[in-house]
Formats: sequence, structure tokens, C-alpha cells
Amino acid sequence: MSTLVGTALTQRFGSELALDAVDVAIDGGEHLAVLGENGAGKTTLLRILATAARPTSGSLEIFGLDAMVERRRLRARIGFVAHAPGLYPALSAAENLGFFCTLQGVARSRVAEVLDLIGLADAGRRPAAKLSRGAQQRLAIGRAVLHDPRLLVLDEPDASLDSDGADLLARVMRGRTAIIATHDHALANRLCQRTLLLRRGRVVGVPTRLRVVH
Amino acid sequence: MRTISIALAVARKDLTSEWRTRELVPALAQFVVLALVIANFGFQIDSHNAVAIAPGVLWMALVFAGLVAFGRAFAAEREQASLEAMLLTAAPPAAIFAGKALAAALLLAICEAVLLPALALFFGVRLSFDVVSAVLLATVGMAVLGCLFAAMVARVRARELLLPVLTLPLWIPFVVVGGQAVQAAMGGSVTGQATGLLLDLDILFVVLTSLAARFVLDD
Amino acid sequence: MLVAAGFIFLYAPTDALQGPVQRIFYLHVSSAIAAYGCFAVVLLGGVVYLWKENIAADRLARALVMGMIWAKPIWGTFWTWDARLTSTLVLWIIYAGYLMVRRLAEPGRQAARFAAVVGIFGFIDVPVVHFSVTWWRTQHPGPVVINDTLPAEMLVAFLITMACTLFLAGVMIAIRYRIEVLMDQAAEKTVPAPIVAPSEAGGAR
Repeated sequence: MSTLVGTALTQRFGSELALDAVDVAIDGGEHLAVLGENGAGKTTLLRILATAARPTSGSLEIFGLDAMVERRRLRARIGFVAHAPGLYPALSAAENLGFFCTLQGVARSRVAEVLDLIGLADAGRRPAAKLSRGAQQRLAIGRAVLHDPRLLVLDEPDASLDSDGADLLARVMRGRTAIIATHDHALANRLCQRTLLLRRGRVVGVPTRLRVVH
Repeated sequence: MRTISIALAVARKDLTSEWRTRELVPALAQFVVLALVIANFGFQIDSHNAVAIAPGVLWMALVFAGLVAFGRAFAAEREQASLEAMLLTAAPPAAIFAGKALAAALLLAICEAVLLPALALFFGVRLSFDVVSAVLLATVGMAVLGCLFAAMVARVRARELLLPVLTLPLWIPFVVVGGQAVQAAMGGSVTGQATGLLLDLDILFVVLTSLAARFVLDD
Repeated sequence: MLVAAGFIFLYAPTDALQGPVQRIFYLHVSSAIAAYGCFAVVLLGGVVYLWKENIAADRLARALVMGMIWAKPIWGTFWTWDARLTSTLVLWIIYAGYLMVRRLAEPGRQAARFAAVVGIFGFIDVPVVHFSVTWWRTQHPGPVVINDTLPAEMLVAFLITMACTLFLAGVMIAIRYRIEVLMDQAAEKTVPAPIVAPSEAGGAR
């Protein structure tokens, strides 16, 4: 059964057409890479798939639920790493995660687990603003998996990540359905089974199957 | 209840951030003291008219400080990205709103703790329990309304202009009733009715803004 | 409206105390009531996403202006902070805010949602403001309409004016609604220009 089915997703900003009738479908456990130039519509599409934005028209079904109606229920099962990290700079990594544990309604023990997972266990009590960009990106990724989501949506997470960032991505994506937007074809090759290429808001060509190379 | 713990967590997060960066409260405190000093010269206060003028100065200072304080609750660019991160969780938007309004109200209350003594000092008026309670009650109502419209305005252009236009009409009842309460209290008479009215207004608008929060914060 | 004008100037006897200026009273009160009525419709409309823009604002502005003209000879001043004037001013400010929000927010869902919230809060605020200012002080002469001693002819003139004003409001609302519907249709038909950077040629990354 498909985890996510988007049909004729269209997004207009005023007279600007950012997405033009995009169809996308993913099965459970699959990893999909969304490729395209800057301005092709990757972020717009990913925000719609993560229920962070509503499309102008089109329909979206996730886990069998209508995404326009069941947003709150779906958000409990989706993790989103947005373009901007949106962390609290005055709070430490642990405090950032602890806060989101309360929001998500998950146990505080997850904070230590996730800090281990993203390699920031010794980030200590430094405010998040003092962390390196790579570390901040890791923190954003960690926050997205606090509640163990079934679907993970990542918008260019590799942009600020350091070299072992790809390993981290592979670790968090394992066992989950994932959609990742990236410029990096090699990374897409490594992490995903399928690709979707966007140009000017439209899907180009047929979604291809990638050979997974380790 | 989860809603309450979420609201408290949001408020704690805001207050902790403010405590560590100390951006807002010093600026507000400085503003109100400055306003009092200017009022003193502008109005030529003497012992006769102090009681008549002091309430007006108090509420003017509060209104302007409030606009700044509540506007900041949602304003910063980074707040937008993090606000979205909060909304994309399982947390109810009304709880998030309540937390932010609570934190903003407390920050304004800290500013009032500077304003009221300074007012008493400069203008020679009496600060009674009635004065303080009137101001605090009004702060609650002003906070929920100010934060609701600040949330709306944060995502719209021309926000500095729009926030006062939307918020001030709704603050007028608080200023009118609160002004009356403070004036009566400073003059030594009874304020029971005014205080009761402030409480009614608070209840009305806390309920309304909680219901409206969902539509304003989220899509 | 011509009919109403006829009644006002020819039929009703001159008010003993206030003179001919008092005739403005008819239009003034009618406008104010119609304006508030329009705002009530805005409230409902806000919930159902009907869009009414300039009509109520025009009514409001006219109510305020006429109130000021009436005030000048009577009280010797153009403005005074009593309950009626204050709440009408507040109504006008809220309406200005409503229009600004509608114009400045993202068109579509967001603008409609925000405007609806503003409309609802505004609608509730006007009586609250009115009540609080009344509670505090008032200078506006008591409502003549409820007064028994209003001569029959004046009452008739007033009611006719009221009816004509409301009818006019209804017509203008209907026209405005049609305009909004047409504008929406036009917006949807616009062929949108896709956003793209011209540098995509050659697949350079």
C-alpha cells in the first residue's frame, strides 16, 4: 500500500506558478530523492508533502488519510527538516530537544538517545547558537526524529552537513519512508531507490529507479 | 493536562531565552522610565494635578510598551522558522499560543514592576493593592489580544503599521476601565466595580483568543 | 434616496430646539445603524468568506462626517469623546485594519482567515467599547427615536429614510459581491508565469 500519494499538486503564489500538477507516490520504506535546480520547486513540493503548506489545488493522501483534513494526526507521524533549522539559539542542544519532547508528548529519555544518534552527546550546555553549522543541522535532524516518525521529509539536509553527515542521514532514514531534496546526485544514489526530477515546477521524465550503491 | 504542560513549556522556553539574552526587558524598562521623565516636563506636574495626570501617563506608557513587547513575541525571523517547527508537532496550536501570551504578559509585568514604583516616585501618587491589581488584570487581557494580532501580523507585510491599528481598538476598553480604576485608587476611593469589569473583559477575551488562535497560527 | 430627501426637507417640521441642522440627524443615525448592520453582515460573511469592502467603510465615513457636522452647531465643537462617537471611530479604525489585513496578507486562504478573525473581534469590540465609554461618561443627546415625544411626522420621515438607506446598502452590497465574484474568476484565468532562473541551460550545477 502506498504510504504517500500526491495527485496534481499545484502551488501558485500570486501569479507565479511554483508547482504545476505534480504527481508523486511512495511506498512504505522507500527512499525518494527529489532533484532539481534552485527554483525548480523542490522546497515548495517538500513543504506540501510534510503538511507544512497547503497546495493551491490537488490532493494528498498520507498513511491513507486526507492530508488537508487530518493535519494534526499526520504531523505526529511525520518528521520535517526544513530549509531553515528553526532552532532556539539561546537554548542548549539538550534543552532544544527536551522542549520538543514535551511538545510531541514523548518521554524525556529520548533526548539522550537522539543526542547519541546525532553525535552531539557532549554538546553539553552550550547554547545552540554557538554550535557549528554542521552541528546545528545535525540537531535539526535529531529533532525531526524525536517522535520516531514513519515518514521523514528532508529539505537539502546535506547543504550544511560535514563529511560524516551522509552516514547520519543513512542512519536516520533507515527503516523509515523518506523523501529527500538535494542537489547532490551521488548522495541521492547512495541513499535512495528512486528519483523525481523537477524543472520549473514540473516533473521531468519518468521517475527512475537507481541502483543502490554502497 | 497536556495542553497546560505544553503552554508552560512554551512560556518557560520564551522566558529562558529572554533571560539569557536580556534583550527585551531592559529596553522596555528604559522606555517607560524615559516616558515618565518626559511626561513630567511635558505636563508640568505639581501636587495638585498629579493624581489626575498620573493614570493617563501610566496607561500610555503601558500601551506603547505593550505594543513593543507583544510585537516581539512573534516577530523575529528566526521565530518564524521555529514557530513552524512547533506547529508541525502534535501540540495543539492553542496551547502554543497560550504559552507565548503567558510569557509576554510576564515580561510586561516585569516592566510594570519598574514602571509603577517609578511613577509613585516621580509623581508622588499612592500605589495601593488596587492599582497593582488593576494593572495586572489589564495586562492579561492586553497580552492575549496583543499576541493574537502579533501572530497574525508577523506573516503579513507592513507589520509595524498594522499591529497598532488592529490591537488598539481592542485595548481601549482595558485602558478606559483600567484608567478609571487607577484614578479612583490613586484618589483614595473604591474601585470594586472597575476591577470586576476588568476581570469580565479578561475572561471574555481569553476565551475568544484561545478559540481564534488556531486559525491565526496555522494554515 | 431622493424620496427620503424629499421627506426630510419638506415634510418634517423644524425641530424646536435645534433648528434645521437637526435634519441631518436622519441621515446620520440611519447611516450609523446601516453601517453597523453592514458590519454584522461582515461578521457572518467573514465566517462564510463573503467579501464586502468599500460599502461599509463608505457608510462609516459618512456617518462620522455627518455626526461631526451636526455636532458643530450644537455643541460648538467638532468632536467629543463620548460613547457614540468613540465607538464609531473605533468601528472605523477596525474596518481600516480589516481592509489592510485583507490587502496585505497572502491572497486566498490566509487573507480570508485573518480578515474573518479581525471582523469577528471587531464586531465584538464595538459594543464593548461603547459600553465601557458609556460606563465612563457620555455627552451625546439621548436617542430621540425611542422618545415618546417625537412628533409623528418626524418618526415617519426617519423610518422612511432608514428604509431607503438600508435598501441602498443592500443594492450596493449585491453589486459589490458580483464584482468580487468576477474578480476571482479573472484571477483564476490568469496564465501564471513560471518562476525559473535562466541559468538552467546546460545542466550546470
